[in-house]
Amino acid sequence: MIHIDVALTLGDFRLAPRLQVGPGITVLFGQSGAGKTLTLEAIAGLLTPDRGRIAIHDRPVFDAAAGLNVPPYDRRLGYVVQSYALFPHLTVAQNVAYGVFDLPRAERQQRVDDLLRTLGIQDLADRRPAQISGGQAQRTALARALVRRPQALLLDEPFAALDEGVALTLRRELRRLVRDLGLPVLMVTHDLTEASHIGDRIAVMDAGQVLQVGDRPDVLQHPRSARVSHLLGIANVLQGEVAGSENGIAVVTPIGPLHTAQTGLTEGPVRIAIRADQIILTRPDRPPDNRLNTLDVEITDEADFGHSRTLYARLANATEASAPTLEIQIAPHPYQVMGVATRRHWRVHIPPEAVHVMQT
Amino acid sequence: MLIARGVTQADIGAALASPFVRGAVQLSLVTSAIAVLAIVALGTPTAYLLARRHFPGRALVDAVIDLPIVLPPVVGGLALLLLLGRQGPVGGPLAGAGVDVAFTTAAVVLAQMFVAAPFYIRAARAGFESVDQRLEAVSATLGARPWRTFRRITVPLALPSLAGGAVMAWARALGEFGATIMFAGNVAGRTQTMPLAILEAMEADANAAIAIAVVLAAIALAVLITFRGLARAGSRAL
Repeated sequence: MIHIDVALTLGDFRLAPRLQVGPGITVLFGQSGAGKTLTLEAIAGLLTPDRGRIAIHDRPVFDAAAGLNVPPYDRRLGYVVQSYALFPHLTVAQNVAYGVFDLPRAERQQRVDDLLRTLGIQDLADRRPAQISGGQAQRTALARALVRRPQALLLDEPFAALDEGVALTLRRELRRLVRDLGLPVLMVTHDLTEASHIGDRIAVMDAGQVLQVGDRPDVLQHPRSARVSHLLGIANVLQGEVAGSENGIAVVTPIGPLHTAQTGLTEGPVRIAIRADQIILTRPDRPPDNRLNTLDVEITDEADFGHSRTLYARLANATEASAPTLEIQIAPHPYQVMGVATRRHWRVHIPPEAVHVMQT
Repeated sequence: MLIARGVTQADIGAALASPFVRGAVQLSLVTSAIAVLAIVALGTPTAYLLARRHFPGRALVDAVIDLPIVLPPVVGGLALLLLLGRQGPVGGPLAGAGVDVAFTTAAVVLAQMFVAAPFYIRAARAGFESVDQRLEAVSATLGARPWRTFRRITVPLALPSLAGGAVMAWARALGEFGATIMFAGNVAGRTQTMPLAILEAMEADANAAIAIAVVLAAIALAVLITFRGLARAGSRAL
């Protein structure tokens, strides 16, 4: 378990992360410049905050008030930096062995051999970093970080430098390895796709602060604020006002009243977030159904992302140019079967479960 | 030039055998070796601090270290004499304690250090600056205290620059003339290094002067070739 609650001013930038990292993978997600790497450096002891506390498994390693600042070499953390920073003058085996110089030779050899085997790089033991591929370098860096049996693992963009195919394999392996070791892992990424797949938990970071932490599905489905929604790539964020209605709670929005499955809402201004992949497209010539949140729209534009298409739609009866555009994500197969390309007028249905209301 | 003057190998061989020439060669090799060792010992931490730490007055220290490169060596020798001579602010008390520096072999070493140190410190500093600081950070997270990081990561990676700087400094020390003659004088066997011996020999025995010049050039060439070879092998190993 890592506890961090610190503050540091660097020029105009104020870093003030507050976070707890338990066993399993916690993804620290945010745009570049959000302070993710600085947060890892503070935990590792490479950066000294102005204020606050950091503890690793209940052992305080930094406490500004108490004047405590355990140096990095005594923090017992594994840290894999971005693009790995392997020692270029040492072989793969020497890189991995670097952290256990204080063990007897036989034990050191044993531990290095075990790790090289676990990560499938035993055949590269005598190669230099310049002679191995990106994926192999990542495995070497991971082995090097694990050799001292750290109490937690910090990973900075561990897959960013890799081809997508290699990254896919290594992500799966990392998840298995972490499960076997039972380590808390804090992994930095700016890649939303990666963040939505690998982590057990997500911490969303922005402008030096952790805006929201939680279990991955929960954070992805229930962003706390418009900013988090935006960072998580939720395309449709609308202004609204909670109002009671005959069918329960509804939110008055620029695209009309929308019903939500959410309960416990109080009246007042809110923002609502609707994921583009949760809006359902139907043909407008079907007999009108009595489902809630049904709107007639006109598709004004679309974009092909290969594995999905995004349609940009506005209300069919909208008169103002400022009327909000809805983004609708649709898979290539239904796109083809329904003949979306040939028809511009559609009806959309937004399930009340997909209408996420944020009161902050 | 050698042919034009009609100097033969036999002449050079005879000159080399003379105690005058041998004394100068020996003194040059010993003093320049001591000077380089002292420069490396003192210059390495200086260069590291300049490369890695920002402290008040760093720009001034930087400029002072480079000063001997632009200063005529004679001026440097004069400065050393004023400082460490019997009347000097440092030399006076030393003389009182029975230690004379000026016009001794130690003065030769000091003069060589004065003119040669900037070459090493500049190269070493550039070498340290070229070492990726993330490697040092990673080393620290792997349980290495600063000294171990310095020995195992920083120095090996800066080694080509450190070695290059040491060779340049050594070459400069070996050829040192102006500061030496000013501060150490030209006493055979004690302060008369090869360049000073050439000056003296030119007045009496041109063959001896040329012999020393040839030895000087040959040693310098041999060292430079060896160093280049080592540097190539080193860069291949990386």
